[in-house]
Amino acid sequence: MNECIRLEYDVDGENFASAGHASESVKRTLKQMGVSSLSVRRVAIAMYEGEINMVIHAHGGRAVAEIYPDHIDIRLEDHGPGIADISLAMQAGYSTATENIRSLGFGAGMGLPNMKKYSDDMQIESTVGEGTTVKLRVDFEE
Amino acid sequence: MTVAEFVARSGYTVFSEGEEREIESGYCGDFLSNIISRATDSCAWLTVMNNVNVAAVATLIDCACIVLCENVAPDDALAARAKQLGLWVLGAKENVFEAAKTVAKLCNV
Repeated sequence: MNECIRLEYDVDGENFASAGHASESVKRTLKQMGVSSLSVRRVAIAMYEGEINMVIHAHGGRAVAEIYPDHIDIRLEDHGPGIADISLAMQAGYSTATENIRSLGFGAGMGLPNMKKYSDDMQIESTVGEGTTVKLRVDFEE
Repeated sequence: MTVAEFVARSGYTVFSEGEEREIESGYCGDFLSNIISRATDSCAWLTVMNNVNVAAVATLIDCACIVLCENVAPDDALAARAKQLGLWVLGAKENVFEAAKTVAKLCNV
């Protein structure tokens, strides 16, 4: 029961074009495993938002996914500036993204709220000046 | 209505083709996080965003087609990625509101 499929990805902080690579790979793997399309979508959205956050705010980072028969654990770790006020960052519509980032379609202030919405458990550990780790768990529906 | 049928009826430009599928709903928006949270599967996604992230989001939401409105064309990176992924990318001269009316009328959604 403890056996899992472990997938690891480097998220390139300088490259918006490759953002989504990790979530796309996990999505493909879950589909191949026969996980329901609703669960696959929840995982893909939560993880994509995490990837984008790492690209926008933290110059990249590392994403690790551990897939179990009934759920997935995702850890998104960066060494960016950290989040000073997590409760503020969790508010829908709050964003520190620059105008340039907004022009690409990001910065709606929905990244963290979407990650929470589409996961069954979400924990954020962040230290200003050191980085942020977000842990997500998504349970697969029957 | 399928995307190909919609193209024939609307006269919209085809920037990239995908597999034949039905348009079952529509969604208008440019903020990518809103779109992945709210757009439904098999929708026509109407936007003026034309960068490569549009392809990633279109894949996530599994939309039937992307409609770039207001004479917007995909940038080179989006065009290449859409072809690689087999995504329908269409172009409309109309603004988003008028294009949404066209989708609603022709597809009965």
